[in-house]
Amino acid sequence: MTETILALVPVYGLALVALGTFLSCLALPVPSSLIMLSAGGFAAAGDLVLWQTATAALAGAVLGDQLGYQIGRFGGRLWSGRTLPPRRAALVAKAAALVKDRGEMGVFLSRWLVSPLGPYVNFAGGAAALDWGRFTRAGIAGEIVWVTVYIGLGAAFADDILALADLLGNASGLLAALTLAGALALWLRAALRQRRTHGAHH
Amino acid sequence: MSAARPSALRYLWRHNRPALIGFGLALMIAGFFAVRLTVFTIYWSDPAHRDQVIEGWMTPRYIARSYDMEPDLLRAALPVSADDALRPGATLSQIAADADMTLGELVAQIDAAITQARLE
Repeated sequence: MTETILALVPVYGLALVALGTFLSCLALPVPSSLIMLSAGGFAAAGDLVLWQTATAALAGAVLGDQLGYQIGRFGGRLWSGRTLPPRRAALVAKAAALVKDRGEMGVFLSRWLVSPLGPYVNFAGGAAALDWGRFTRAGIAGEIVWVTVYIGLGAAFADDILALADLLGNASGLLAALTLAGALALWLRAALRQRRTHGAHH
Repeated sequence: MSAARPSALRYLWRHNRPALIGFGLALMIAGFFAVRLTVFTIYWSDPAHRDQVIEGWMTPRYIARSYDMEPDLLRAALPVSADDALRPGATLSQIAADADMTLGELVAQIDAAITQARLE
């Protein structure tokens, strides 16, 4: 699997890099980290041109983010017709407000630090109606970090692409899972607090 | 607090089951990645595992860079005209297929060229 992908990178070059980052921003299981690391390695070797590779990766990622945001926005409109039990509706409203007010930092960090969460943040940002301009600015800034780090590491450590892919892949998976656990813990705590305030009325 | 805990869990299980299950799953996934990260860190910290063996996905330029040698020195080991063999993007698998030889034969030739270059 890994070697199949590595063999595709020099052959299909920039198109594959752009397609890889594009699809991975839509939650499709594409090994975009490995693609970018190896593209950086092939660029260092002279098979690809470094700035073109980085530009292709960035273009794919930014377009993917935009499509994800629009999908989320569309889904959010469908969802808004649904009625939820009042307590859960309050929680959902609180989460949506959080995304709307402070979503930019989440968008920025989920581009590169906890990148496995990136696609879902796109959907959530669109669904919660995070301002498009703010989403786009934070997204592009984050994608620049993501692309620079992965292609840069691939170019700098071209001999250790497989090791880098294993370590970075698992480290970002771990960070993403911990972030998700933390967010759900906050959600559960808010739910318990709500119970207490509701309990006071009974 | 300790007396409140079971009822808190029960409350969440009854009213926020998806979030509670998601929380448990997220912790399990975090554990899974923590174990993998540890295993891979141990594996890759062994220098022997980082020695790259020449494989079909590599390009001549990539090999030249990995083995820190001039791309020109690899030309002799490649079956096609130098310009074509060093064209960006051709993998060893493709070069071997173009030349009607097996990947193993091509890799053996390249290995020999690298050994030769290091002796000189």
